Amino acid sequence: MQMRSGRAITPPLLDALDSNIIEILRTNGRATNQDIAKQLSVTAATISARLQKMEDARAMRVVAVTDFAARGYNVIIAVGVKVRGRNVQDVGRDLGKFPEVLSVNIMNGSHDLELLVALHDFSEVQEFLYDHIAGIAGVAQIEAGVAVDIVKYEFNVVPL
Amino acid sequence: MTEPSWQRLDALDHKIVDKLSRDARISNRAIAAELGVTEGTIRTRIKRLQNEGLIQFTVVTDFRMAGSPNLCMLGIDADPSRVTELAERLKHMPEISCVILMLGRYNLLAMGLFTNIEQLNELVIDQIRSLPGVQQVNTAISVHNLKYEASVAKIATTKQED
Repeated sequence: MQMRSGRAITPPLLDALDSNIIEILRTNGRATNQDIAKQLSVTAATISARLQKMEDARAMRVVAVTDFAARGYNVIIAVGVKVRGRNVQDVGRDLGKFPEVLSVNIMNGSHDLELLVALHDFSEVQEFLYDHIAGIAGVAQIEAGVAVDIVKYEFNVVPL
Repeated sequence: MTEPSWQRLDALDHKIVDKLSRDARISNRAIAAELGVTEGTIRTRIKRLQNEGLIQFTVVTDFRMAGSPNLCMLGIDADPSRVTELAERLKHMPEISCVILMLGRYNLLAMGLFTNIEQLNELVIDQIRSLPGVQQVNTAISVHNLKYEASVAKIATTKQED
C-alpha cells in the first residue's frame, strides 16, 4: 500500500545528524538552534541549514498544536459522505475548503469520503451538515457521528 | 461539564497562538517585537499555555518517512456497558493513533496508520474482535488524503489521566 498524493513517494534520505535533530525537537519543539547545536556539538548555522533542508524536502515540520478546546471547538463530528453523479475527488476538495473540515479522506469502504469536522457549538451542527456540506454538488448522503470523548489523538506522521 | 478552557485564553494569548501556528520556531523575541510586549511576557504566556495543555510543540514527519502508510478507520459497535473499558484497551495499542467515543454512528471510532493489509487484518482479527464486548468492526481504508489539519488536536492532559 502507498499514500497516493500525486507526488513522488521516495522519501528524502536523512543522516544521523538529521535524525538527532528530529529527536531533540520531538521532546522540545521550541529548543533554539543554539541549544540543539550545543547538544550535538555542531554549529547553530548547521542546525539551521539542516532544518531548512528537511522542511524544503517536506520530510518534517515543527508544529504548534493547539487543543480543540483552545480554538473553541467543542463539537467534533466524524462525517461519512456518499457521492453520486460527480467525481469523488472534486467533491472532497470542495468539502476541504470549509475551515471547519479538519480532514478529508477518500475511502474504499461503505462511504466515499470521511471528514472530521470541528464546530464551536451544537447550535451550528444543523446548518453546517444540512446547508454547507449537503449544499456541495455530488453529496448524496451523509452519516454523522458525534464525538463524546476523544480518548487518544496522536498523529505524528502526516501528509506534508 | 468542565469549564470551557478556551475562555482561559485572552486576546494576547490568541495572538501568540496565531503567530506560533504560522511558525512554531519563531523566537520569543520576534513575537514580543511584533505584539509590542516584553520577551518575558511571551515566555510566561507560552509556558502557561503548555502547562495547561492548550498548546504543544512537536515534530510531524511526512507519510513517506514512515513507509507511506494508509490511514485505516475502524468503526466499532460494542456492548454499551463495555464501551469505556474498550476505549481504554484500544488507547494502549501502539498501532492505534486515535480513539473516539461516538454517538449516532459507531460506539467507537479508532484510527491507525498501516503499511500493509496483513498488519491491519491481524490487529482487527486477533486483538480487537476478540475483546470482550466487541460486536462488529467495520474497516475502511483511506486511499487518498485530500486534507489534514495538523495544527489542531486533542492534547492529552497527563496530569489528569493515566
